[in-house]
Amino acid sequence: MIARLAWRSVWRNRRRTLITVLSIGFGLSFAIFFIAMGHGMYTKMISDAVRMQAGHITIEPRGYLEAPAVESYLKSPAELRAAVQRLAAVQRTKLLVLGQGIARTGSGTVGVALMGVEPSAEAITSPLARRIIKGRYLSDRDGPWVVIGKTLAERLGLRVGMKLVITTNNAAGELVDELCRVRGIFATGSEEIDGYFMQAPIAFARRVFGLPAGAATQLGVILASPDDQEAVLAKLRRLTAGQDLEVEPWQKILPQLASYIKLDEGSNYVFQGILIFLILFTIFNTILMSVMERQREFAMLQAIGTRPGQVMGQVFLETCFLGLIGCGLGMLGGAAAAGALQHWGLDLSSFYGGDITISGFAVDPRLRALLTPGIVLGMGAAVFAATLLLSLIPLRHAGRVNIVDQLR
Amino acid sequence: MSTLVKATDITKDYGQDGVVTHALRGVSLSLQPGEFAAMVGPSGSGKSTLLNIIGGLDRPTSGTVEVDGQRLNDLGKSALGELRRDHIGFIFQSYNLLPVLTARENAEYVLRLQGVPAAERRRRVTEVLAEVGLAGMEDRFPRQLSGGQQQRVAIARAVAPEPALVLADEPTANVDSKTGQSLLDLMLRLNQDKGVTFLFSTHDPAVMQRARRLILLKDGEVAGDGEGLEDIDGV
Ligand SMILES: Nc1ncnc2c1ncn2[C@@H]1O[C@H](COP(=O)(O)OP(=O)(O)O)[C@@H](O)[C@H]1O
Ligand SMILES: [Mg+2]
Repeated sequence: MIARLAWRSVWRNRRRTLITVLSIGFGLSFAIFFIAMGHGMYTKMISDAVRMQAGHITIEPRGYLEAPAVESYLKSPAELRAAVQRLAAVQRTKLLVLGQGIARTGSGTVGVALMGVEPSAEAITSPLARRIIKGRYLSDRDGPWVVIGKTLAERLGLRVGMKLVITTNNAAGELVDELCRVRGIFATGSEEIDGYFMQAPIAFARRVFGLPAGAATQLGVILASPDDQEAVLAKLRRLTAGQDLEVEPWQKILPQLASYIKLDEGSNYVFQGILIFLILFTIFNTILMSVMERQREFAMLQAIGTRPGQVMGQVFLETCFLGLIGCGLGMLGGAAAAGALQHWGLDLSSFYGGDITISGFAVDPRLRALLTPGIVLGMGAAVFAATLLLSLIPLRHAGRVNIVDQLR
Repeated sequence: MSTLVKATDITKDYGQDGVVTHALRGVSLSLQPGEFAAMVGPSGSGKSTLLNIIGGLDRPTSGTVEVDGQRLNDLGKSALGELRRDHIGFIFQSYNLLPVLTARENAEYVLRLQGVPAAERRRRVTEVLAEVGLAGMEDRFPRQLSGGQQQRVAIARAVAPEPALVLADEPTANVDSKTGQSLLDLMLRLNQDKGVTFLFSTHDPAVMQRARRLILLKDGEVAGDGEGLEDIDGV
C-alpha cells in the first residue's frame, strides 16, 4: 500500500513531477552525450596517433625514451615480434626505425624525424596513408623514397618525384648523406607532423641510420581494443623480463597527447559536475517542497498510527520513482543522442573551415561519439544514487512532524 | 464494565516567549465504554488539548491518563503510535483524507497498518462504507465527494478497525448544519447499534442537544458534567 500511495503521490502534482523528471532526463542525457562524445574523440585521437606512430605499447631499448639515438636498437626483433603477435589482444605489430636528421634541397634545410616503416602493413592501418594529397603512399617495392608533409614540401620547395638529401649521424657515429625522392605528400593538419615528419621504407631507413638488416629502434604494438592495454602491458613486461628492453604505454611515448586528453577530460568533468549538480538541486527542491506542503498529511498519518519509518519509507519510494523515471529517460535520451552521433557522425570541418589539431595532433573533423554501456549505466546509477542520498534530508522532515502542531 | 478513559488532574501549560498559557488546569474525567459524550465550551477553553492528550497525541504537563487499561504516561513514542492504531479512532475537523486514495482505500488504511488480511479487510470496509451511507461510492476519490461524504469516509476509517474509543475534534464544524445533523445521526447510530464509544468536541448547540453526556470546559477546567444542557450552567 505504501508503494501505491507513493506512486500516486508522485503524480499528484503532475506538472511538477513532469518538470522534475524531464530535467533529470535532459541533464543526464546531456551528460551521457558529452561523455560519449569526448570518449569517441579521445579514442579516435589516440587510435590515430598510435597507428601513425609507435603503437598503443612500444617496446624499445632501455634508455631510448630519455635519449633517443639510433645507437641503441633492437638487434634481432623478429623472435620477440613473433611472440608478441601471438597474444590474442594484439591486432598487429609494427617494426620501426626512427631517427633524427636534416633534410636538404636547393631551397633550404630543415630538421626532420625519419620513420622507417613496413609500407604494405602501414598502409592498412596508419591514418597517414589516407592523408596523401599528392603522389601516393610508399609501397614495399620502393627503395630510397619518402613521403613528406605538406609544410615540409613547401619549405624545401619539393614536389612529387623531386630529390632531397638526408644527413644524419648513423649508428656508428659517422655523418652520412643519403639521397632519396618524394613519393607522396601528406597533409594531416598537424603542423608538427606536416612540417617535420617523414616516412620511408624500413630498409632504406636502416641504410640511412646504418643499422643491420632486420634491426629496428622500436617494436610498436597495436591493440584491437584499447581496453586491453593494461593487461597486455603486464604480459609484455613479463615476456621481456631480463632483457635490456623497456615496454612503455603510449602515454609515455606521446606525453603531450596524454596530458591534453587528461586536461580536456578534466574540464569535461567540471562541466558534467555542474550539470549533475543542477539536476540534483532540482530534484532536492522538488522532494523538499512536496514534503513540506504535506506536513499536515504526514501528521495525520502518524496520528492514526502510521509509524514515522513508514511515512519516511513512502517519501523514499516517491524519490525512487522520480529518480527511476528521470534516470530512465536520461539514459534512453543520452544513449539515443550519443548513438546517433556515433552512427552518423558530425562533420565539423564546415565550422572550423579546415583541419583541426589539438596540441599537435590532428583530429578527424568528423566527430563521432563512442558509447559504452559503462557510460550509460555508470552515469545513470550515479545520478540515481545521488538522488536517493539527497532525499534523506527531506525524509527526516516527513518522519519528524509535530503531530499536534500540524493538526491544529 | 471497566472504565475506558480515566484522566486525573491533567494540566497542560504552553510556554511561548516567557508567556505561559495554562491550557488545562487540573482536569479529571472518566469515560465508560459505550458512552456518547460531547465536550463543549468556548473557543480556547482546552477541548482540543484534552482530546489530544487522551488520544496520546500530546503529553500532559502533569496528571495521568489511562486509556483501555494502559497508562499513557508510561508509553514511549512508538507504543503510543501502536495504541492509537489499535485502540483509538480519530475523526478530524477537516476530514484529513488522503487525496490520492479512494474512499475504500482511505477507509481500509488502518486495517492495512494492522495487517488485516485482504479478504477480511474488504468485507469489513464494504460493510462499514455501507453503514455510513457510501455504498456504490467506494471507488471515488475524496475530490469527487462532498464535504459531508468525505467526513463519512473519515468516520468509516475511524470505526472500521473497531476501536475501543473514537475521538472527534469538532467533526461537524466544516459542514452546514443539515449535514452536521446527519453526521451526528450516523455517529449516534454507530454508538447505539455497534456500541462504539464516542468522545467529541463541538460548539454547535444543535449537536450538543443530541449528546447523551455533556462535559463543559471553561478556561481549562471542567465547569460542568451532566446528561443534558439543563444539567450544566453557562453554556
Ligand atoms: N501549541 C500551542 N502553543 C501555545 N498555546 C496553545 C497551543 N495549543 C493550544 N494553545 C492554547 O491553549 C488554549 C486551549 O486551546 P485549545 O485546546 O485549542 O482550545 P479549544 O479546542 O477549546 O478551542 C488556548 O488558549 C490556546 O491558545
Ligand atoms: Mg479546538
